[in-house]
Amino acid sequence: MFSLRKVLTAAISAGVIGALITGTAVAPAQAAAKKKIAFVMGAESDPFFQAMKVGAEAAAAANNVELIWQGDPSEYSPATQIPVVDQVLAMNPDALVLIPTDPTALQASVTKAHNAGIPVINVDTRVNDLTNVLSFITGDNADGGAKAADALAKAIKYKAGKTYQVVVGLTSATATTNVARLDGFTKRLAAKYPGIKIKDKAYSQSSPAKANTNVSNWLTKYPNLAGIFAIDGTNAAGAAAAIQAKGLKGKIALVGYDAYKTNVDLIAKGIFTALVAQDPAAEAKLAIESLVKYFNTGSATGITKEVVIPNVVLSKTSTAAALKKYTYVQK
Amino acid sequence: MNQVGTDAKSLKQVRMLFGNQQFLLLLVWFAMVAFFTAFNSIFFSMAVFGNILLDWAPVVLIALGQTFVIISGGIDLSVGSTVGLSGVVAAFQMQHMMTNGDNQWLAIAVGTLVAALVGIAVGLVNGFLITKTKVVPFIATLVTMGAAAGLAIVYSGGAPVGGGPDKAIELSVPWFGPFSTPGLIVVGIVIICGLFLHLARFGRYTYAIGSNEFAARTAGINVNRHYLKVYALSGLLAGLAGMFFYCRLGSGAPTSGYGGELDAIAAVVIGGAALTGGIGRISGTVLGALILTTTTSGLIIIGVAPDWKQVVVAILIAAAVLLQGNKNGSRGGSK
Repeated sequence: MFSLRKVLTAAISAGVIGALITGTAVAPAQAAAKKKIAFVMGAESDPFFQAMKVGAEAAAAANNVELIWQGDPSEYSPATQIPVVDQVLAMNPDALVLIPTDPTALQASVTKAHNAGIPVINVDTRVNDLTNVLSFITGDNADGGAKAADALAKAIKYKAGKTYQVVVGLTSATATTNVARLDGFTKRLAAKYPGIKIKDKAYSQSSPAKANTNVSNWLTKYPNLAGIFAIDGTNAAGAAAAIQAKGLKGKIALVGYDAYKTNVDLIAKGIFTALVAQDPAAEAKLAIESLVKYFNTGSATGITKEVVIPNVVLSKTSTAAALKKYTYVQK
Repeated sequence: MNQVGTDAKSLKQVRMLFGNQQFLLLLVWFAMVAFFTAFNSIFFSMAVFGNILLDWAPVVLIALGQTFVIISGGIDLSVGSTVGLSGVVAAFQMQHMMTNGDNQWLAIAVGTLVAALVGIAVGLVNGFLITKTKVVPFIATLVTMGAAAGLAIVYSGGAPVGGGPDKAIELSVPWFGPFSTPGLIVVGIVIICGLFLHLARFGRYTYAIGSNEFAARTAGINVNRHYLKVYALSGLLAGLAGMFFYCRLGSGAPTSGYGGELDAIAAVVIGGAALTGGIGRISGTVLGALILTTTTSGLIIIGVAPDWKQVVVAILIAAAVLLQGNKNGSRGGSK
């Protein structure tokens, strides 16, 4: 049922991207001296990448490089991303920042760029083999999952010997960020809070409405539910609405991920117990700065191979300044 | 002799009943409810029916429009994207009104109107492309599907648009059995659409055009104007579905309608409409949508991975189409 839509959107977006690329390729010919950095992200519709774009644009302007920002408008999928990478490489950029939507499927694209003498940096997610990757900059998803477990345990006032039911809302079974967060969450529960049992998991396919359906039904199915871990921004939005509509605000601990503005606003209202926030703007900034360093010195010295940017847990006790700083910037 | 005649007659009535798609759908739905309840008795509760109706309302809204479109011999692929676009535009309007300190209910009313207008606008573009530029409906609505989805993302920056009236989300709370206020409004819209399709001239024209466009034209029906109306209606209902999602999520998400067009087409086809046009009923669409959304909730309640929903739906569509083929076949072969 879903695939028809994907094929159609892929067809349309390929056309749109093609048009965009030919458009941008012609325009800035006079600025040939500027270094060009191509930035291929996951899905334009995700505020996470919007915040990353703001960081990337600011860093590009500050370092006087040209930024080519590309990616599928809405699908986080290698099928739509690989053609975009190919198009971008055809423009002969001086460097490529790639957020691989699949660790295996995008490996060939990295090799292709490397063979063309284009340095590659991975941000957020990575390809399996980092040999040809200059640097990999990410938020620590496993750590984020573990921090979510801590926040959840604290919110339900965990006591050893008692059992608690929780559920986890995911986007897909394979997205590397989802897998790593769930892994971190599960391991921390097993190590420190064995009484917390994950009763159910379901996938929302990036739709807040589907996430809402999942959580609404769980709230009926498990009358004694203690908490919910919503693994990303769309799941968090769907879960928050379900808790409000069922009048369970404050009765069920809700730990979300990703600091969408709409979600951060719900911390103060007591809907979210905690939100794990990443810093996509900082990730993008570091990627651009590392590449500028590489352009200037012509070597990888001084560029760290793997950088982990820590997550922040936002809650009612966070200062207004912290809430503002970590809310994903939108244009 | 007389005895045999009545037996044959009642036998024929029973056979007709089972040949009736709506009756069969109702049986399928009852069987599904019994099946899910057998696995987990919590399924048979007002709370679960409330959840099902929350899912059902937006699906049936866009499926109603799709029913008119499909009976007229067309298809509307743009409705899912229209849901997202109208929700986002309405959300910005309501956010604006809230920052101005306007009344919450007024904001919701204006938001609903804005969502409806956005929907109608997309529908009119579809109608224009189909009637004036003679693009086939599949391609015309494919174009607007992409454009509306893209606009929704550009306009919102990808994020859900919040900051609107708090009362919107409270509206989604069921108070009349499993029905919430927007749910009851949707039931009202279903009834109006039923009257329009089955009793009014609007419906007769729709069937006539879908059965034989040439004949309808010859009979003096302004076919182009009718197409325009049908696609505008489909857009309007998709816009209202966008507002329904807003009330449900408390924000306008650009992705909220993704895949909605396929759910709607599935509901209409399961309900017995033919994609070749001229055949279909509102009651079938209503039951088709109910079966789809019952599957979703049921699989979650009994703890089966929701991915199975797609398989179940595929089987239902296949069964519905087979049933239709049999009916058409027996009609052709009857002596």
